[in-house]
Amino acid sequence: MMQKKGINTVFTAIIAIFIALLTGFIISAISMIFMKGFPDLWTSLFNKEIQFAIKLSFYTSVISTLMCIIFSVPIAYGMVRMQFWGKKFVNTVLEMPMALPPIVAGVALLIIFGNTNFGRFLSELGLDFVFSVKGIILAQFFVNVPYMLRVLKATIQNIDSRFEFVARTLGCNRMQAFFKITLPLAKNGLVAGIVITWARAIGEFGAALMLAGATRLKTETLPISLFLNMSTGDLKLAMASATILIIISLVSLFVFQYLDGNQSNQSRLGC
Amino acid sequence: MLKMVQMSKQLGDFHLADVSLEINDGEYFVVLGPTGTGKTVVLETIAGMYQPDQGSIIYNDQNLPDLYPEHRQIGFVYQDYALFPHLTVKENIIFGAKIKKFPIDEIQKKLDQMVEMLGIGHLLHRYPSTLSGGEQQRTALARALITSPKILLLDEPLSALDPRSKEVFQQELKRIHQRLKNITIHVTHDFNEAIFLADRIGIMHKGKLVQVGTPKEIFENPASDFVANFLGVEHRSKKKDRQLFCMSL
Repeated sequence: MMQKKGINTVFTAIIAIFIALLTGFIISAISMIFMKGFPDLWTSLFNKEIQFAIKLSFYTSVISTLMCIIFSVPIAYGMVRMQFWGKKFVNTVLEMPMALPPIVAGVALLIIFGNTNFGRFLSELGLDFVFSVKGIILAQFFVNVPYMLRVLKATIQNIDSRFEFVARTLGCNRMQAFFKITLPLAKNGLVAGIVITWARAIGEFGAALMLAGATRLKTETLPISLFLNMSTGDLKLAMASATILIIISLVSLFVFQYLDGNQSNQSRLGC
Repeated sequence: MLKMVQMSKQLGDFHLADVSLEINDGEYFVVLGPTGTGKTVVLETIAGMYQPDQGSIIYNDQNLPDLYPEHRQIGFVYQDYALFPHLTVKENIIFGAKIKKFPIDEIQKKLDQMVEMLGIGHLLHRYPSTLSGGEQQRTALARALITSPKILLLDEPLSALDPRSKEVFQQELKRIHQRLKNITIHVTHDFNEAIFLADRIGIMHKGKLVQVGTPKEIFENPASDFVANFLGVEHRSKKKDRQLFCMSL
């Protein structure tokens, strides 16, 4: 009896040690950035380069997040509610950018939009994605859209399809049932998706670096600014960018977890 | 008249086989059978959630499967009511009338009618999650009835209620039907509910409609051992007991 109790205690202790180790490691890593970054954060905020990076990051991330919404809402709905031939294959393709290292995604985008007929055609139309701000937006969109899709698919899957069906018997066509029932019920999931996609877009580095390059005061978002300032040894500015990025990530994570928790508590019948 | 002709539907392992049935205007028809026999699938196929693989469903010379669910003039009440959780009781009830663009004064008139008929005036500004089972039931029924459907489909509407509410609501269903006189198809596994409400009963077993008749006919002459067992009588025996029971109907 005693022996059994001892084994259980040891088992619990081992789990506790692992949890404590990883939690402690993460907290200390993040605190280091805060400790280095906070003292000069206020003065850095008046630095022209940091201001440029903040503005560009917000501008690009907001637009790329909007693009993610525009594409993800109908696609997620279709992938959950509609049946079609080759659906599994399409699903795998849509999730593929998530599996690609961002830098590889960036190279792929650089090839398509760079030296191909398609790239040149777009360039003639004024849509120049290579080494430009538009490239940053495109890279953020390409890398993040699968995350938005995944959150939205889970959200829509969690909404009982009979709500829509009842709405149809009450006179709604498919589009009305979607806009009046499914979309309002998916609100929390949609907002959670927007927050997480936006936070990832703000921090997007690899793909944007490949497609848009790292040009000071031109394609300099916060992560690119961090990279450039680390390379030139300007630790103060680098830490300022890092601190801002961490604050954004942490706030987004808390909002996401709060909204995601709320979403699973509703929209299901018979529970 | 609503007429199903050899309606079949395969859903995974479940097979709804050759359901043929005629339901007259103004009739209260109860589909009776144990859980998992495909009663709900029959309703959902009539309402348009599924297209039948074979057969037709004719109402007023129109084949319902050719119409979208929104054009079938059907009211549907689910076992767990499926009230829209983000809308208040009032918004739930008037949902169909607003979608069908009824004039505002007509919506108000219809809402008042529903409120009076079902006694739910005090609930109008509450959300479904705060309602009791009986209150949700009334709201779901009001929502289905506000657009004056020609066919009302009720999927085990009383199964989630406590015995007392069930009894009260059973009487209300009968009263409402006598007032509205639409075709009502009510699915249940409760024989007592069926004999109280039904003009005719259809008994289902393993995806097939095995017997159709008035409660008395079915009770007096169960078509098979299954029907007899399900109703709690013995097939072609103890006839005297059955007659005694029928006299009490």
